[in-house]
Amino acid sequence: MPRPSAGSPAQTVQMKPRRKSAWQRLRADWVLYAMLFPTLLYFVLFRVLPILNMRLAFYTFKAKGPWVYVGAKYFKQIFSSPQFGKILGNTLIISLMKYVLLFPVFVVFAILLNEIRSLRFRKGVQVISYLPHFLSWPVIAGIWISMLAVDGAVNQIIGWFGVSPVRFMTNKGTIRWVLFFSEMWRSLGWDSIIYFTAILAIDASLYEAAAIDGASRLDIIRYIVLPALVAPMTTMFILNLGYFLSAGFDQVFNFTNDSVNSVIDILDTYIYRIGLERGQYSLATAMSLFKGVVGCILVFLTHITSKKLTGTGVW
Amino acid sequence: MKKKLARRFTPGQVLLCLLMVLIVLTMVVPLLNILARSLSEPSRSLGMSGMEIIPRGFSTLNYQVVFSNNLIVPALFNSIFITVVGTVINVLLTTTAAYVLTRPRLMFKKYIMGFLIVMMLFDPGLVPEYLVIQKFGLMNNHWSVILVSAVNVYYLVICMRYFEAVPNTLYEAASMEGAGHPRIFAQIYLPLAKSGVATLSMFYAVVRWNEYFRPGIYLTSSSKTTLQVILRQFVVSGDTAAIIGAQNLLNYNEFAKIDYNALKSATIVIAIVPILLVYPLVLRFYAKDIMAGSVKE
Repeated sequence: MPRPSAGSPAQTVQMKPRRKSAWQRLRADWVLYAMLFPTLLYFVLFRVLPILNMRLAFYTFKAKGPWVYVGAKYFKQIFSSPQFGKILGNTLIISLMKYVLLFPVFVVFAILLNEIRSLRFRKGVQVISYLPHFLSWPVIAGIWISMLAVDGAVNQIIGWFGVSPVRFMTNKGTIRWVLFFSEMWRSLGWDSIIYFTAILAIDASLYEAAAIDGASRLDIIRYIVLPALVAPMTTMFILNLGYFLSAGFDQVFNFTNDSVNSVIDILDTYIYRIGLERGQYSLATAMSLFKGVVGCILVFLTHITSKKLTGTGVW
Repeated sequence: MKKKLARRFTPGQVLLCLLMVLIVLTMVVPLLNILARSLSEPSRSLGMSGMEIIPRGFSTLNYQVVFSNNLIVPALFNSIFITVVGTVINVLLTTTAAYVLTRPRLMFKKYIMGFLIVMMLFDPGLVPEYLVIQKFGLMNNHWSVILVSAVNVYYLVICMRYFEAVPNTLYEAASMEGAGHPRIFAQIYLPLAKSGVATLSMFYAVVRWNEYFRPGIYLTSSSKTTLQVILRQFVVSGDTAAIIGAQNLLNYNEFAKIDYNALKSATIVIAIVPILLVYPLVLRFYAKDIMAGSVKE
């Protein structure tokens, strides 16, 4: 059968609609793919190429000429160094504080917000509590350094109770709690939004029924509000697990100083130091590869577990 | 009415509101304190406590010093340049990609999305990225910072949700009329998802403005650096020579005499003001939109 020429409408109408080949569809929609091209190009140049560069973990870096293959040398060096255990420990402790210990605070804040009866007051509290989330880390660090200074606001307040001034920023015993509370300060409003919207989505008829049954506010929180928060709490918890080996680089990087670095030195700050400050490219890349792979395993494991337990995964 | 008032002023409500006021104060007082310090007379601000929120006297000397500094002024312009150009590129790429990825019957959609998710989850790390920037010859060039974070997958997914909300019938009617993709995108999707795109732009802009890490690494000369990098040097690392200049420290009695904390405060205020300017807009557009995007179902 001769091919219908493009310029014969009568024939095309008669033709049975048949699946176009991939190539034909691609050609017909070329404008569409052209619109996607810059984005894909970006990812190839600035994400895929770096990922390919990660093979440096198995090579010795040479600025000129090809890299020299050394196998697992740098991994052995990392895992046998006593510092690695300490840094991994710091990372896990800080992550535990941020993602396990801190996370109920956001839930409680959302519940308390919902208990405020004056709508205008509640909106005001919300608007102000979101603000710290939008400040840059150098700004937040600047604010906290001045708040925690010996003559700063915090020492002044504890002074009223007869406590002598504490150098919070340079004390190994307090610095992790500084990270904890500054993270709380920054994220209290923002991270509670997800729980607050879940509370708002609760069906009003549930409250009415509870009122008829004579339930107290605490009963309502216990039997209506909390159950509605289980789903977002699970989601957030799983998402946070993905960040467990990161532990919030920006915060640590801006809050650290020589006196306390040994207790808050985490994987990412270590990578920065050995990679960019000391120029040990291969060692830093090996560490990044370790972190990336373990991070992915964590996410996949939690995804599978969550799917089994609750039926919904991360994606 | 009486009953309503009585309900509002139960002991529980009063306690709750007091607690909330305390929480809000921890956020507001430090900011106002910094503002007050920066506006005080430099000779009197030295002994200011952390809880004072009213300037001692009034002087703009701190700002004059900051704005006449030959490090900070170029850095401010660099920050503005990177924020504006960077945001435009962010929004352009994100919206066009989101438009393409929400077309029905798009080929390879599953694979492209899978690729993007992997790109989001897997972080290649510092050195591998650094080497790429070096190889492209982008070191000490603003385009390194602009291009290296040109698209955020998370925001892209949110933008896709906005576009999915545009009725498909409009798309079909327009393509029936013979409108091409660029036209449908620019004349139907962008206007209809206006508030979403505005929110997105502002989030990108805030991230751009606040960025300090990559500019600190990739912009190696002081004439190329940005405000947040200087701020970090000055405020976090306590490097006063960075802002006053080693020479000025010796020669400039007037400057060297003034309160460094007040000077730091003025720098912080300058870094916060643009955020405060867009903050009302962010709040107006965002809350439910962003959450609708990030929470499945």
